[in-house]
Formats: sequence, structure tokens, C-alpha cells
Amino acid sequence: MPVLELLVGGVLLGGLYALMACGLNLIFGVMRVVNFAHGEFMAVGALATVSLVGGMHLPFVAALVIVPLLTAALGLLFQLVILRRLVDGPMIMSLLATFAFSTILVNLSILIWGGGYRGLPDVLGGSVQMLGVNVSLSRLVAFAGAMAVSLGVWWFLTATRFGRAIRSVAQAPELATISGISIERMRTFTFALGSAMAGLAGVLLAPAFASDPQLGSRFLIKAFAVIIVGGMGSYPGAMMAAILLGIVEVFGSYVVGPVIGSALLFLIMLAVLLVRPRGLLGVGMRV
Amino acid sequence: MNSIAFIATAAVAVLILPFVGSEYAISFGVQLLMFTALAYSWNLIGGYAGYTHFGQVAFFGFGAYVGALCMGAGWHWLPAAVAAALGGLVLALPLGFAMLRLKGPFFAIGMFGMARVFENFALGFDGITDGGTGLYLSPVSDMRQIYAAFAVLALGLLVATWRLDNSRLGLQLLAIREDETAAEALGVRTSRLKIGVFAASAIAPAAAGSLYATYLAFIDPATAFAPMTELTTISMVLLGGLGTVFGPLVGVVTMSVINELLWSRFPEIYLMLVGCVILLAIVFMPRGLAGMARRRSLLFPVGREGLRRLVARRSPPGMRTEAALG
Amino acid sequence: MAEIAHKLVVNGVSKRFGGRVALDAASLEVAVGSITGVIGPNGSGKSTLFNMVAGALAPDAGSILLDGRDVTRASPARICREGVGRTFQISRVFAEMTVLENLIAVAHGLDDSAAVDRALELLELLEITRLRDCWGAELSYGQRKLAEIARALMMSPTLLLLDEPFAGINPRLQNQIVDYLVRLRERGMTLFFIDHEMRIVLDICDQVYVLAEGRVIAHGRPAEVREDPAVLAAYF
Repeated sequence: MPVLELLVGGVLLGGLYALMACGLNLIFGVMRVVNFAHGEFMAVGALATVSLVGGMHLPFVAALVIVPLLTAALGLLFQLVILRRLVDGPMIMSLLATFAFSTILVNLSILIWGGGYRGLPDVLGGSVQMLGVNVSLSRLVAFAGAMAVSLGVWWFLTATRFGRAIRSVAQAPELATISGISIERMRTFTFALGSAMAGLAGVLLAPAFASDPQLGSRFLIKAFAVIIVGGMGSYPGAMMAAILLGIVEVFGSYVVGPVIGSALLFLIMLAVLLVRPRGLLGVGMRV
Repeated sequence: MNSIAFIATAAVAVLILPFVGSEYAISFGVQLLMFTALAYSWNLIGGYAGYTHFGQVAFFGFGAYVGALCMGAGWHWLPAAVAAALGGLVLALPLGFAMLRLKGPFFAIGMFGMARVFENFALGFDGITDGGTGLYLSPVSDMRQIYAAFAVLALGLLVATWRLDNSRLGLQLLAIREDETAAEALGVRTSRLKIGVFAASAIAPAAAGSLYATYLAFIDPATAFAPMTELTTISMVLLGGLGTVFGPLVGVVTMSVINELLWSRFPEIYLMLVGCVILLAIVFMPRGLAGMARRRSLLFPVGREGLRRLVARRSPPGMRTEAALG
Repeated sequence: MAEIAHKLVVNGVSKRFGGRVALDAASLEVAVGSITGVIGPNGSGKSTLFNMVAGALAPDAGSILLDGRDVTRASPARICREGVGRTFQISRVFAEMTVLENLIAVAHGLDDSAAVDRALELLELLEITRLRDCWGAELSYGQRKLAEIARALMMSPTLLLLDEPFAGINPRLQNQIVDYLVRLRERGMTLFFIDHEMRIVLDICDQVYVLAEGRVIAHGRPAEVREDPAVLAAYF
């Protein structure tokens, strides 16, 4: 078994899961909404990147800017038109709304981009030598980008005034109202930020993986696994769990094949759910 | 309109259709009855006990495969469907025991993940399931038989729900939905109730999965575990009214008709439009049609009548109006 | 003097949350057929004590006996089955059910018509028959308290636990509830409650325990407690 190669592959994959999971976690923390459409924001991001870079021949860097703005706008629209009215109601409403929105986005994507796989084989091609392992450049960039953004957002949440305000909303919504923080504004901002993060994850994975409109749901369930293993609402927990599950998936796929390998992830998630529902580093929550 | 008249009307409509309807009407009827069975099953755990079950399609798909494999082994479709139903029940008991310790979003995500695990297994164990290619079955000659089986399933669940709604068991489930901790502290046997209702709610979906595979003469993982089935079912219950007797039926009929119209007019963007319809329903009718009916004139019965009748027999007339005013 | 039969005995229970001591070896005894109250300022540990008796919290040390049987680590459900009814500090009336349905839902071991009879009787007793068909969500704060007491009585408990029954309601309703509780005691029920309404507690109880900072600082008949220097120091 090429242990080192698998390990590196797992860590690199985990980086993308981390970015996805952090966005999901942020939204869950502030809004108490499980965003079933999060994966679709990423898929839309990936497919839009393919169009911008592969079709319109814009530089990849341009996609890094344009696509997150696009998905943020999409998230903003959804939040302002639909989600805003539902977040304070029963949980099933917001769950179902994001579920429905994910269906809309999948089918919209199929309409725009078709159902097939698309990729960017010419962008960030080649590979570099690392720890004696050949690593494809596109995966390395995806990992580095994802980690940079995840850590950047974390820094923003802990070090800036606005970021701390967001965290206070996540921790105690009642107190935030009293201290005059507009919860509505925080939620809107958070949802847009989370959507931008998902879009960015899409941009980063576009050169490294083949993308199709169904990509979102495959990634989403893994991101769910990550935040449950790491603990819903815990940022460091999610980052650690993401890397851990990336490694599990890569090793699992190597041993038992890709389909059952990714099912392993869910089985780990279920095991964690049963043993420690709040996750490894999760904040306890009453639901 | 009272409950019995409502059920009788539904039953008569279901009975007449295969004799007067075209082939198209029967296929529409099959879909409608299937979703009726799914919606009523979901309503038991999601509506009454209040557990947001996002993995019902796991049982549907599981049943589809159990049924398809039985039929592949030469079984008639009817015993195959019964086997699927039993399989669903047997699977649901330990699964419910494990998963129902989770609450709220954790349960939703856990069951959603469970459905995806099953889908992956169906894809992965291709020695048994033929993976993504799917299993082909010999078609049934008379669709009316399948229609009849779905009709039995749907009406059975409607009647069972009606009975439940008029019983204390129904109230105990509602108590779990309202406040599980309090219910438990007040002596309601919450664990066994919710595991029981979860298992009961898995029987019909598993049977329906098997019947649906028979109806299509084909099953593959994408069809068996389609998230769209889940989404549509839950939306129908929500549109009609969670935890009510007739809400799901009203939701199923309303949504099926809308979906059918959309399908016939805009087939290429059909699924997208269904998503939009669901969003509109959630935003504008969060309490469902039954919730609206409860607040306004009674378009259709909202249930829990048995108890009220029992009370009315015991208290002086006029009290109810007084209470309503006071 | 003959040994008094005790419905409930709490033996030196302690509880810490993190580093904070919520209860420090607190003991008390509730005689059969009595009304016993625990009083104490916020943070004195009375809610912790109450939750332990109700089975919602397990003590770190000490034991709790119900009719002489050890129920120290029993679940709330088991405590309930042992014949204990309870209300909640913050109302937990089932909102989407009518008051009558709230009562019927927690009845077990009775057939339907017996459950309905019992529920109607209790609504009568607490004079809330007119609320019978109101939704839980429509009730006022005080009405919820009454509905919860009725619900707690559904299973004919021998011990009724009341979590701050007098907090936040008007004096007229307070007096009304006092009245009901006295009537329940006359029917042979034992009542145990926590509250911080000094006036009522001293008025209604046979036995009062005063908690401060997790310890029982005084106990006895209301008249004794009223004069206790430790209580005066803690309260006034």
C-alpha cells in the first residue's frame, strides 16, 4: 500500500472538505439552518469556473474573484426572498426550503451546463515533488487555497469586531438582540459569506476534479459527515475532522473501492452520532 | 364534511378510476396512491412524533431492491412486496433504536446520510444489484393489479392514521413532538413509542418501493434512492398539514395535480418548477392547508374528533361554544 | 414520639457544575401528607435540588429515597412511574394540543373514557373547565400553571412536585393555587415545592427548608424559620 501517497492525497482532499464544512458550520452556527443547498453552491461555482476559464478564456485568478461573488449573490437572493422568513419557524421549514433550493440549483445547472462531466485539464497542469510523492499542482493549489480561506475566515471571526459579533450571535442569539446587534443583518451576511465559501471551493476544485451538476450532493454529504464528526458549530473541530475524513476516504477507496470507500465516511459519521452526538469538539446545543 | 364521509369519498374515487380511466389515468393514479402511502407513512414519524425524517427514501429504495431481488428469484410480485415490507420493518427496528437518540438537525442529517449510505451500497455491491446499470424485471401484464395493491396500501394508511388520530397513542406522539423531555418526565413512554412509530412508518415505503419497481419493471440506485422522492413526499405532507389525518391526502392530490400540469407543459424544467412550488408552499402556507382550515371554516375535517365526541357526550351542551368564545 | 412516615428523604446530596458547587450535602425530609417547601434566593441551589428529586439530574454524592426506596439515579420516567407528578418552572404545556388533550396524553393504564372522566374532573377541580378546548399556545402564563398542575395530577400521584408554582403570577391566582394545594393535601397527597415567594411559603407549608449557597441553613415549621437568625441574615 502506497501509504505516503494515500496520506498526502487524503490530506489534500480534506482541505476542500474543510472549506465546505466551515461554510456549512458558519451558517448552522449563526442561523441554526442546515443548508442542504450548500453543495449546489459549490457545484455551480465549479461549473461556472469551467465556463469562465475553459469557455471564455479568462484567467483562473479572475474566476477566483468572480465566482465567489456570483454564489454570494445567489445565496443573498435565497436568504432575502425565502430563508429570512423561515429561520425563526420550525426547523423543518428551513430544512425543506434549502432542500428544495438545492433541487432547483441542480436542475438549473443541468439546463445550463448539461448533465455530463466537465473539467479544466489545461489549468494548473503538471505536478510537483513533495515528500518524495508526486502531487498534482491543481490539487496542491486547491488544498492551499481552501486552507488559506478557511483560516482567513476563522481569523475574521475571532479577531475582528464584526466577526466577533457574528460569533456572539451564534453563541447566544438572545444576548445579541439586547446588545443591539442586528441579527437579521448578521444572518444575511453569514449566509452570503457561507455561499461565497462554497463557490470558492467550487473554483478550487474545478481544475483538480471533473465537475457535474450532481457534484454538490456527493460533496455535501461528506461535509455533513465532517461537521458531525468535528462537532456542529466548532470551527477547529471541522478543520480537523475534514483532514481526518479525507484520509479515511482515500484509504478506504484504495482498500474497498471508491463507492464503498465513501460510504465508510458516513458510517464513521453515524458511529460518532451515536457515541457522541455533539461531535468531537462540538458545542452542546439543545434542539 | 365528517371524517368517515371523507374517507368513503376517497375510497370510492380510488375504486372507480381503474374501470373508467384511461391508461394515463391509471398511471397517474399509481403515482398518486404511491405518494399517498409515502406521505401518510412520513406523517406518522414526521408529523405526529415530530422527527424530521430525511431518510424515508432509504426504506423505499431498500424495499425496491428486496422486491426486485425476490422477483429476480422467480417470486410473484405480491409476495415480493410483502417480503419488502417485512424487510423494511426488520431493518427499521435496530436503525430506529440507534438513530432516534438523535434530535432535530442531527436526526435529519443522520437519516439523510443513511439514505446515501444505502445508495452507495446499491452501487457498490454490484455483484448483487448490478450497480448503476440497474435490475430489469419482467413487466406485469395488467397494471390494474399494481394499482390495486397501491390502493390497498394507501387506504390502509389513511384509515390507520385516522384511527391513530382519534386515539391516545396519537396524542402521546404529539406530546413527543411538542416537548419530548416533558412528555418523558410525565410518564409517556417516549423511546418505545418513537421506535415503534419509526418502524411502522418504514413498512409501507418498503412495500411501495417494491411495487414501484414492479410497475417500472426496472430499478437502479438513482431511481430507488432519488432525493426527489423524499423532497416531494415531505412537501406534500407539509402542504396538507403536518400531523393531521386528511392533510397529507389533500397535499398529495394538490401537489400531484400541479406537478402533472407542470410536467405536461414544461417537461424540460419540470423538476426546477417543482422545487419552486415547494418553496412557495413553505413560505406562504407554513401551517399547511389543514392549518388554514382549522382557523377558518372547515373545508375538510381536521381530526381528533373521537376524543371530542367522547367529551361532548359527558358535558352539558353549549359548553363548547362558550369555551370557544371565552 | 413515633417515627413520622417519610414520603421523600434527601440524604446529603451534592452537585458541582464545573468548578462551582451548586449543592453541598443538602438533606431534607418530606412527611407523608405534608406540604413541604424549599425557599432560597436565586442561585441557592433549589432548582438543582428539585431537578434531582425529579430525576432530571443525578447527584455527585448523597442519596434520595422515595417511600423508603432508593431512587437516587432513577430517570424522570421512572420517578413518574413511582407515583410522582411534576410541573415545570418555565411552562411546558404542549402548545399544539388543547388543554384536555394535554391531560389525556399523559394518562396511561386508563381506558379512553376513564381518562376523559379523570381529565374533566381535574379541570373542574382547578376551575379551568372553560379552558378545556383552548390550545396550549393560547393560554396565559397563569392558565398554563393551572393546566400543568392538572396534567401532573392525571396519573393520581401520591407526591406532587411543583417547580416555582407561585413565581410571576398575580396575588389572586397565587391565593387560588394555595387553596388548591391545601385541598390536595386534604385528599392525602404529599406536596413538595420550591419557590422564592417568602410570604406564601411561610403561609402554606407544614415544613420549610431554607437554602443558601447550596446548603440548608435552616428548617422547621414556618414560625420557627421566620425567627431564625440565619434566615434573617440571608434574607433581610
